Amino acid sequence: MGSTTGRGPRLLAIATAAVLAVGVSACSSGKSDQGAAAPAGGSGGEAAKSGGSFSYWSMWRKDEPQAKVIQAAIDQFTADTGIKVDVEWTGRDVAKKIGPAMAANKAPDMWDQGADSIYGTAAQNGNAQDLSAVLGMTIPNDNVKVSDAIPSKYWDSLPKDPKGGQHWVIPYEASTAGVFYNAADPDVSAAMTSAPTDWDGFIKVCDALKAKNKPCVASEGEDSWTNGLWFDYLVNANGVNFADLADDKTGASWDNPAVLKAAQQTEQLVKGGYIIPTYTATKYPAQQTNWAGGKAGFLMNGNWVTAEVAKQIPATWKYGFLLPPGASQPDSMVFGFALTKNAKNVAQAEKFMAYFLQKKTLSGISTDAGNITPRTDIPAPAELTDVQKTLGADKLRLTFDGVAGDWSTKVWNQNFLDFWHGKTDAAGFVAKMKSSQVSFWKTQS
Amino acid sequence: MSTATIQDPSRTRRVRGGSAARGPVGAAPLERSRRRMFWAFTAPAVVVYAVLFLLPVGYAAWTSLYKWDGISEKKWKGLGNYRILWQDPIFRHSLGNTLKTLLVGGVITFVIAFALMLVLREMNRRLFARSVLFFPCLVNAMVFGIAAGVLFSPDGPVNQVLKWLGWSHPPQWLATEHLQTMILGTLVWTATGYYTAILMAAVDQIPEYLYEAAELDGANAYQRFRHVTLPMCWEVISVCAVLWTVSSVKVFELILMYGGSSGAQPPSDSWNTALYVYEEAFPQASTPQLGLATAAALVSLFLVVIFTVVLRRLLRRDPIEY
Amino acid sequence: MRPRRKAPSLPMRIATGAVWLVVAADIALIGWILLTSLRDGTDILNHPFGVPTHPKGANYGKVFSDGGFGRAALNSVVVAVLSSVLAVVVAAPCAYALARRRNRVSGAMSMTFAMGLGVPGQVMVIPLFIGLAHANLDDSQPGLILVYLGLAMPFTVYLLTGFFAGIPAVLEEAAVLDGAGMLRTFTKVILPVARGGLITAFLLQFISAWNETLFAIVLTHSQDKVTLPVALSSFVNEAQLNGLDWGAMFAGVCVVLAPMIALFSWLGTRIIQGMTVGIGK
Repeated sequence: MGSTTGRGPRLLAIATAAVLAVGVSACSSGKSDQGAAAPAGGSGGEAAKSGGSFSYWSMWRKDEPQAKVIQAAIDQFTADTGIKVDVEWTGRDVAKKIGPAMAANKAPDMWDQGADSIYGTAAQNGNAQDLSAVLGMTIPNDNVKVSDAIPSKYWDSLPKDPKGGQHWVIPYEASTAGVFYNAADPDVSAAMTSAPTDWDGFIKVCDALKAKNKPCVASEGEDSWTNGLWFDYLVNANGVNFADLADDKTGASWDNPAVLKAAQQTEQLVKGGYIIPTYTATKYPAQQTNWAGGKAGFLMNGNWVTAEVAKQIPATWKYGFLLPPGASQPDSMVFGFALTKNAKNVAQAEKFMAYFLQKKTLSGISTDAGNITPRTDIPAPAELTDVQKTLGADKLRLTFDGVAGDWSTKVWNQNFLDFWHGKTDAAGFVAKMKSSQVSFWKTQS
Repeated sequence: MSTATIQDPSRTRRVRGGSAARGPVGAAPLERSRRRMFWAFTAPAVVVYAVLFLLPVGYAAWTSLYKWDGISEKKWKGLGNYRILWQDPIFRHSLGNTLKTLLVGGVITFVIAFALMLVLREMNRRLFARSVLFFPCLVNAMVFGIAAGVLFSPDGPVNQVLKWLGWSHPPQWLATEHLQTMILGTLVWTATGYYTAILMAAVDQIPEYLYEAAELDGANAYQRFRHVTLPMCWEVISVCAVLWTVSSVKVFELILMYGGSSGAQPPSDSWNTALYVYEEAFPQASTPQLGLATAAALVSLFLVVIFTVVLRRLLRRDPIEY
Repeated sequence: MRPRRKAPSLPMRIATGAVWLVVAADIALIGWILLTSLRDGTDILNHPFGVPTHPKGANYGKVFSDGGFGRAALNSVVVAVLSSVLAVVVAAPCAYALARRRNRVSGAMSMTFAMGLGVPGQVMVIPLFIGLAHANLDDSQPGLILVYLGLAMPFTVYLLTGFFAGIPAVLEEAAVLDGAGMLRTFTKVILPVARGGLITAFLLQFISAWNETLFAIVLTHSQDKVTLPVALSSFVNEAQLNGLDWGAMFAGVCVVLAPMIALFSWLGTRIIQGMTVGIGK
């Protein structure tokens, strides 16, 4: 059995190559043997100290600020160490490409993505290498160990790979999600004299805004992720772990009255008419743009939203940030580097990971890309100071308690959107989730 | 142009009475050399087709019997993937959308295309009108998907016009529950011109004397349509039906990009089987399910096969010689 | 064409009006897309109907520099042209042989090619991805060209078989009598006569390769390898994080759209004929 598995593709490969030789050998339009998967110039394991190279597929596109920060670091890295980096600015789709690429043994040594993506596509199947060695490395120039520069809570919150490890990613960007608003907006400050302490308090704020004919909440109606964060926070505020909810194969977890309560609270936003009208019929980022233009009070999103709307907000804008009242812990999402299963140039790539965490290098993520780094000694951009403070908590909770991937696609997305669009009520939503979840787990074998 | 003479192959073929005509002289050597060269001529295309087309199809069929993430060993599953598909509400919904596109979209497209063809035939400057109506089928559907995102946004051009016409609460075109309908509409709009053009070409080949004869017999416009036009282009209609079947099952980029955003997955309510294949094989944050994905792809292939066979049977008529 | 016999009836006049309305709407839509590509992003959202008062060519600058559309356009041209040329080169002799030799083998072969017309692309996308990766051809132009070549086989062979069947056999019979071999007859006698058909086959394949999205998205990803549809889709994707600029997005749309407009205005009749006349055969 084992020997047959490889034969199909190989046959296909040989035949394809044969046709290529006949058909396109004259085609001069670029040789395909780009360095992406080429092993480092054969100089063996000791090459790490004297040059060599590694390949890297990035989640960023070349024109994005993060890419520019990383590119600058790569240039400096190569100058300092002689190690060359074959980088491809693949974009977010890197998560879609990496699995099949590993299958075909064409994957790069290193890649980066959100931790949920890395876990879902690689780590959960043991396809991301353990990076514990990096934690013990010393960051050049700063002379601190990686494990001292980056709080261990970022790893402790992550799900475990099949070997029980959590060090399958080296984070370089930290983030959380929550409710953003313009504290300088007179409507908002009039409606919210002090931060609401419970959910009813928040609904009162919404009522006050509604009285002024201002929608309380902006929402990209198509997006089950940002809108779902309301439910994620509320269900946690009611004492239920989202992962426990999703992992129950019997679906009985949805019978918990606390879950229904969280759904009913979420429903208040929908049924109360607090969400910006037309939200069900627009595409991202229409409503975010409306919000930045002062047409709604609050926006639930990841903290990268400040960088996204930076060019749209008025000069008088002053950022406020709060969690849905009742929620005690900010959620956490990290973006970072990972090694693929069959990475060949491990030493070089790990060296770069530690190198990139240098204070002067990593600061670019804050200063140029407008985001937060996991290093506490790098200040966040001014507008995210409050947010960085919330990330200072001792323990972090993953967004959706780490639930992502297939379950989200097949159980969560459509059912939640139907609920968020007012097509089902709270009880109906809970019932629908339960039944979809049961049939989902049946197909997972 | 030298090509003018062969622009209408059917006519020349009729004149020749088939291509295997045997000349009285030189037929034998010609025949022998043809036999020898036949394989030399066909070999490259056959090899390319076998390796790059048939082999992948076979490989897909084989993969669909395994559970495979593309990385670890394949696990034999037999028909297990097909059973999972059957149990998966999302796949059933996707299949339903594919069928809806195929059947509802097909009927609408053909009714409109037929009506357009009848009107266009009587129009002045019909070639210009035909060209304009035809053009959308040459454009990547993403273009219209993205344009629709602006056109049909709540305060977009379409709703502004409707408001100006006195409709105070115009529909929320891009709401998820309307997405499938909007996509279908866009698809019908891009395809109609193409099928209109095919029908026009077919009708243009109907000899004029048939209409004259019908008119002499006192047939009115409807009767002429019913007894001359319709039967005469029946063969073309049945080919069109098969074409539509294949192309409607393939719809992909339109759904992927509809409304101009593809950041996340499109809502699963709007998926068809092609989208399902793509999302299962290249997921954003979960394990690729290559076996399941190829099984879903094969289901769409079965769908085409079944429809083609049924359609050909249903639409079969004795070919009319004229 | 056919002489009109009587004045159009009222329903027909209404119908004609409706058709012209649709035609006008189509033209307006294309025009609107072209105009919008020259406008400022926020301006578009606020006044969707506006005319570009200050034509913003910068939109195009943005898609070509940031979006990598320049490289992608070049890739699209290379891939579409080469795959179409190869498709015609490979398919033409086969189609000729199939058109000239009518027996059980050629019948079965024609049938096999025609069956390919019914296979939706998603069936082959995963196997081809795996196969190309094993042959070290994934994320490369030769790989994409090969894939398009394979995908083109059924239709191109089918189309060209029809064309060759329409060329009178007398031509080559005369050539053979003059002592020319089959190959010589084909290249010297048949191909020149069939030029129109070959060009049409090339054009149609070029159009479908230019617009092809599924395989391009799956098979290419690095910014210097992708074709235009992939560039457009990732440009729209990434716009998320940079604030969506509709002006630039429409500029991107136009880069995909404009060549088709140009091609269609130039060779429209040939394209329509190629896509319609052969169908009923």
